[in-house]
Amino acid sequence: MNLKKYLTLTRAGIIESLQFRLGTLVMIIGNVLYLTVIYFLWDSIYKSSGTDIVNGMTFTDTLIYLVLATALFNFMEMYTVWEIGRNIQSGKIVLDLLKPMEYRSYLFWSYSGSFVTQFFFTFLPTFIIVGLVTHGAIPMGINLLFFVISVIMAIIINYSIDFLVGTICLYTESIWGINIMKQVIVLLLSGATVPIAFFPEPFKTIVNYLPFQSIYNAPLTILLNGNPEMQDVLTILGTQLIWCVVMTVLSKLFWKASLRQITVNGG
Amino acid sequence: MKSKGFRFYFRIYCKILAQDLKSKMSYRADFIISTIGMIFTNIAGFVSFWILFRNFPSINGWTYYEMLFLYGFSLISLTPVQCFFDNNWSLRIYVYSGDFIKYCFRPINLFFYYQSEVFDIKGLGQLAFGIGTLIYAWVKIGLAFTPLMILKMIVFLLTASLIMISMQNAAAATCFWIQNSFYVLDLVFRFKDYAKYPITIFNRLFRFVFTFVMPIAFIAYYPSLVILRPDEIPILSWISPLVGCLFFFLSYKFWMYGAMKYSGTGS
Amino acid sequence: MSQIIQIKNITKEFKVLNRREGLKGSLKDLFSRDYKIVRAVDNISMNVEQGEIVGYLGSNGAGKSTTIKMMTGVLEPTSGEILIDGNIPYKNRAKNAQEIGVVFGQRSQLWWALPLIESFKILKDIYQISDSDYDSIMSLYQSLVDIEPLLHKPVRQMSLGQRTLSDILAAFLHNPKIVFLDEPTIGLDVSMKSKIRTLIHALNKEKNTTVILTTHDMGDVDALCRRIVIIDKGKMLYDNDIAHLKGFFGSYRTLKIRTDGDISEHSEQIRKKFPEFKVSADEEWISVLVDEEKEKVIDVLSTLQKTHKIRDMQLEEISTEDVVKKIYEEGVS
Repeated sequence: MNLKKYLTLTRAGIIESLQFRLGTLVMIIGNVLYLTVIYFLWDSIYKSSGTDIVNGMTFTDTLIYLVLATALFNFMEMYTVWEIGRNIQSGKIVLDLLKPMEYRSYLFWSYSGSFVTQFFFTFLPTFIIVGLVTHGAIPMGINLLFFVISVIMAIIINYSIDFLVGTICLYTESIWGINIMKQVIVLLLSGATVPIAFFPEPFKTIVNYLPFQSIYNAPLTILLNGNPEMQDVLTILGTQLIWCVVMTVLSKLFWKASLRQITVNGG
Repeated sequence: MKSKGFRFYFRIYCKILAQDLKSKMSYRADFIISTIGMIFTNIAGFVSFWILFRNFPSINGWTYYEMLFLYGFSLISLTPVQCFFDNNWSLRIYVYSGDFIKYCFRPINLFFYYQSEVFDIKGLGQLAFGIGTLIYAWVKIGLAFTPLMILKMIVFLLTASLIMISMQNAAAATCFWIQNSFYVLDLVFRFKDYAKYPITIFNRLFRFVFTFVMPIAFIAYYPSLVILRPDEIPILSWISPLVGCLFFFLSYKFWMYGAMKYSGTGS
Repeated sequence: MSQIIQIKNITKEFKVLNRREGLKGSLKDLFSRDYKIVRAVDNISMNVEQGEIVGYLGSNGAGKSTTIKMMTGVLEPTSGEILIDGNIPYKNRAKNAQEIGVVFGQRSQLWWALPLIESFKILKDIYQISDSDYDSIMSLYQSLVDIEPLLHKPVRQMSLGQRTLSDILAAFLHNPKIVFLDEPTIGLDVSMKSKIRTLIHALNKEKNTTVILTTHDMGDVDALCRRIVIIDKGKMLYDNDIAHLKGFFGSYRTLKIRTDGDISEHSEQIRKKFPEFKVSADEEWISVLVDEEKEKVIDVLSTLQKTHKIRDMQLEEISTEDVVKKIYEEGVS
C-alpha cells in the first residue's frame, strides 16, 4: 500500500479545517460550555442521591466518562452518512468512484485530517482540563496504551457502521431520517449519553452483545481502570477486535452488493 | 403598490405551505423514514431520561414527574422552531455557494421569504410526543385543569418557542460572517437538550449565562415555574413573554443585518 | 422618464483575507489577519433607456456580477450614485425588486419541488399581479412558446433548457421595467439557445422591457443587442453601438485563399506583396487580414490572381467575438 497518497488526503484535510478559523474557536468555546453543563448536572445529581457511589461509579468516574465520551464523539464523528448521501444525490459519487482508490478508503482518508485537528483542538484540551478539574483522577499507567489501541479500534468500528448506514442512501433519498436514526441508536446504546453501568439489568445484557458499546464504553472503561486485570482488558479488546472484523467485512460486502444497484441521478 | 400587511404574508405562507406539503407527499419513503427517525429520537431521549431517574429519584429537589413535566414542556416549545424555521440549517450552504442571492430579488421581506420555503412536518411528531408527556406528568403531579392554567400554559409555551427560535436565528445568521457556522448551530442545537434541566443546578455564573447570554433557561425552566411552583415564581418568569418577544426581535434584526451585509461570493 | 438606469461614478471595494499557502501558512492564518482591498468595480458610469437591450460583457471576474448586484440593490456601492427608475436600489430593496426581474443562468429561483404553474401562482401573489394582468401575460406566453408541457412539471425534473426558459418567463411575469439576465444561454444546446434568444427578443418588443444581458456568448450579443458595454478589471472599456465597435477597429475583413503548391512559400510571397496586412497560413488556407480603408478586398484578390493560381477562396467578416477579444487583450486605444 502506498501510504503517501493517503497521507496527502490527511494533510489536505488539516489545511481545509484550519481555513475555518472562527469555526475552530467556536468549537473550542462550545466544548468548554458543554462540559461545564455536564459537570453541574451530574454534580447536583450525585448531591441529591445522598451516596458517593452509584452502580460502582463515583461522581469523578461518571464525569470523566461522560466528558471524554463527548470528546470522543466529536473526535470520531465524520458525517460519513451525510457525505455519502450528498455525493449520491449530487452525482459526485461517480467521480469519486473513478479515483484510483477504493471509495471506502478515499472517504476515510479524506476525513482523517480532521482526526488530527480534532485531537489537538478538542480531545487533548478536554483530557487535560478533566485531569486538572478532577485533580488527576484519570489513572496514568499502562491503561493509556490500551486506551489508545481501543480508540483506534473504536474509530474503525464507528466508521464501518457509518459506512454501512451511508450505503443505505443508495436505496433511499432520506438522508436525514437515516442519519438521525443511526446517531440516536449509536449514542444511546454505546453508552455515550448515559454510562452503560447505569442501565437496568436485561437491557445491559442486550447492549453488551451489540457492537455499539465497543465504540464508547469499551475505551472509556479501559481508561478509568488504573490497575486493570490483564484478562479483563484482553476480553474488552478481543471483543472490539471481533466487532472490527465483522463490521468491516459487513460494510464492505454490503457496499459491493449495493454498488450494482447504483442509479445516479443524471444531470 | 398595495401595502403588505399581515394578511398578505399569511396568504402567501399558506399557499407555499400547501404546495410544499403536496410535494413532500410525493416523496413518500423519505417522509416515512424521517418520521420514524423523529420518533426514534424522542424515544431515545425518553429512555435516557428514564434510565437516569431509575438511579436518581430526584434531582435538586425536583421529582421524577416534575422533571418529566419540564421535558414535555421543552419538547412542545421546540416544535415551532422545528416546523417553521428549519431552513436556517441550510442557510450556511446557500451563503457559502452564493445561492442565497436568489432570495434577495423579491419584493417581500427577505427573512419571511427565506423561512417560508421549508415547512418541516416531522416536528408534528415531536409535538404529539411532547403533549403526551406533558399531560401524563400533569395528571401524575395532580395539577388542576382550569381554563386559567391552560391559558398560562399556552402563553408560556409560546414564549419558550420564541426564545428557541431566536437562538436558532442568531446562530444561523453567524454564517454571514463565519464561513462554517455549522458549529454554532450545532452548539445551540445541543444546548437545547439541557433546557429541560432546572437552572438551579448551576452555580451563579452559569445561571447568569443561561438566563441572559444564552437564554436556554427561558425554554422550559422559568415558564414552567409558573405552573409547577406557583408559590415561588421569580420575576423572571413573569417577564419571560417580554423577554421572548425582545429576543425574537433582536435575532430577526441580527439575521437581516447579516443578510444585508452579505455580499455574495461572486459568480 | 426615459432614463431607466442612471449610474454615476460607482465604485465597489471588497476586503479580502490574504491566505497563506501550505500547512504552516494555514496555522499562521489562525492567529493573524492580513487583509487587502480589492476594487471590483472602479468608477463606472452609464445610462440606459427604457426598452434598450444592453450587452454587458467582460471576462470572468471583471466586475459584471458586482455591478448587477448593485443595480438590484443587493450590494451598496462604496461610492457613487445609482438610480433605478428613480429609486436608490439598496435603500429600498423591496420597492426596487417590484420593478425588476432577475435570472441567473445556473441558479433557478423557482420552487424546486413545485410544478411551474404553482410557482407562477405564488409569484402572482408575491408581486400582487392582478388577475387580468396575469391572464394577459399568460396568453402572451402561450403565443410565444409551447408552455403547456412545462406548466405541470416540477422544476427539479426539467432539463437545463426548460428550467432557464421557465426562469425567464418567471422573471417577466410581473411586467418589470428591467430584467437582468446573467448568462441565460450558458450550457444550452444550439436550438435551445436560439429559442431563448427569440423569446427574449419578443418579450422586449412586446413589453418594451429594458434588458441587461451578461454573457460570454457573442451569439447572444449579435442576436439581441445593439449596444454593448465592456468592462475589464472593474473599469469601463467601451460603451457604444456594436456597429460602431466594428468600425472602431477599421473595416477589417479576412480573405482566405487556397492555392496549388507550397503554402509557406506562397504566403511568404504574399506577405512581401502586402506588407501592411497581416498574413498567416495553416495547412490549407492562407489568410490575409485586409483593412478596406487602405485597399478593397476585391482589388487584393485580383492582384493575387495575377501571380497565383487560386483554387478556392473564402471571405470572413470580422466577428464581434474577434473584436471583443481584441479589446480584452489590447484595450481601446
